[in-house]
Amino acid sequence: MSSLIRVANLGVRFGEHRVLEGWSMKIRFGERVVLLGESGCGKTTFLKILGGLQKPSEGDVTGMPSRVGFVFQGSRLIPWATVEKNLRFANPACSVEDLLERVHLSGWEHAYPRELSGGMQQRVNLARALGVEPELLLLDEAFGSLDLRHKFSIMHDLLEFWKRRRCTILMVTHDITEALFLGDRILFLRGSPSRIAGEMEVGLPPDRSPWSPDFLERRGTIIRRLLESSEDQESKSRDCRKSS
Amino acid sequence: MSRGFLLGGGAVLLGWEIVARVLRVPLILPSLLETGSRLLEYLQTPLFWFALARSAGEVGLVLLLVLFLGLPLGVLFGVRPGIFAFCRPLLGIVQAVPVISWLGVVIFSLGIGWRGPVFISTLSLLPMAILTTASGVRSLDGTLLEMARVYRVPRIRRMRWIYGGALLPFGEAVMEVALGNAWKVVLVTEYLCGDAGLGVLLAWARQGVDTPGIYALSGVAVFLGIFSERLFRGLGRIFRLSRGGRPCLP
Repeated sequence: MSSLIRVANLGVRFGEHRVLEGWSMKIRFGERVVLLGESGCGKTTFLKILGGLQKPSEGDVTGMPSRVGFVFQGSRLIPWATVEKNLRFANPACSVEDLLERVHLSGWEHAYPRELSGGMQQRVNLARALGVEPELLLLDEAFGSLDLRHKFSIMHDLLEFWKRRRCTILMVTHDITEALFLGDRILFLRGSPSRIAGEMEVGLPPDRSPWSPDFLERRGTIIRRLLESSEDQESKSRDCRKSS
Repeated sequence: MSRGFLLGGGAVLLGWEIVARVLRVPLILPSLLETGSRLLEYLQTPLFWFALARSAGEVGLVLLLVLFLGLPLGVLFGVRPGIFAFCRPLLGIVQAVPVISWLGVVIFSLGIGWRGPVFISTLSLLPMAILTTASGVRSLDGTLLEMARVYRVPRIRRMRWIYGGALLPFGEAVMEVALGNAWKVVLVTEYLCGDAGLGVLLAWARQGVDTPGIYALSGVAVFLGIFSERLFRGLGRIFRLSRGGRPCLP
């Protein structure tokens, strides 16, 4: 697989406050990468940089594809436009029927966002991102506000799309189950300013069951890893306090 | 028209009649009957209808100017805070200058006629339209603009769907307020520097100490203000109903 995106020594600061420091990674074409970290560790900031919404303070990102889909944390649908108009807003040439069928919302093209439930709005958000035929799909805690059934249903739809199109997926989340369900590779974020503290190849087939022994075993591994690292951090900060 | 509105209107007329009977000074407050009969006289003269058409034309022109100047300038000021800050003093001056202060400038430069009332009325209503639109643009949902940037949506589509949709309620509000005030301002400016129109009829009635005439013409102005505002609201409702009662763009 060829390398698609290279992130080199990326850093972001807001005034004196550093959010990201020294982020470097390579994302290969067709890979599904998950950034797993606590809230406020700069995950969304990173996606905003990739989406062209923010400039990094240091370092750079190269190899960004031209067609990027973004599934936002909130649905960000235009309230006064129908589902169809919302989809055509991002790409006027998209096939609305096909997109809605893909996210199981056939027949809802003339509905307004306020007529849809939160889960349905998020599906339209996903359909809009898929409608631009993305080479890179960014997901910003896209399933956080959904109930379990809708969450797995949308993640399943997304995997089906990936199997057909093999686009690159980069997702940020703090949810271990989401990370394991969708990711090929998980990058762990830690500290403040946050750094990439490690990574793990998931090594599971794309069709995953969240209650299979392999899935549960990896889930345990991640939890252990996260807990150990947070204990390390606590002891380091205790030592710092004592020495000062 | 709601029952409450009609009852309220009836109460005002009843109060008027009671006060007129108590005062018994027709020079200050004529009775309803006197005012009504003066209004009937007016309605039978072609001069009144010509004056009404002239004032209505001026009001229409003022509204068009307010809309076509106020909305784009409001959008510009909302999007570019620097330009807004630069123009704010001028806007403040235009907003604060009393109608009468424009008189000298207008009479000497535009003369007596329809242009003076249109110019002064437009200047009186324009700051409100600009400021309302600018605050509408500033309160725009930034996350929608971010979404548009991610998808590299062209500026024209962005303007139509994001700005257009967000500004529609503000445009409606501007039109409602402008309609309510336009009749008042146009009549005052006609009174001061017009050569025809209801304001000029009012000036003649004042010169002739025709108090029932002043009240009759004022009643016509009040009716036209309320009627046009309600007509606009009604048309807006019909437009929305034709689209399933949903807030949407044309």
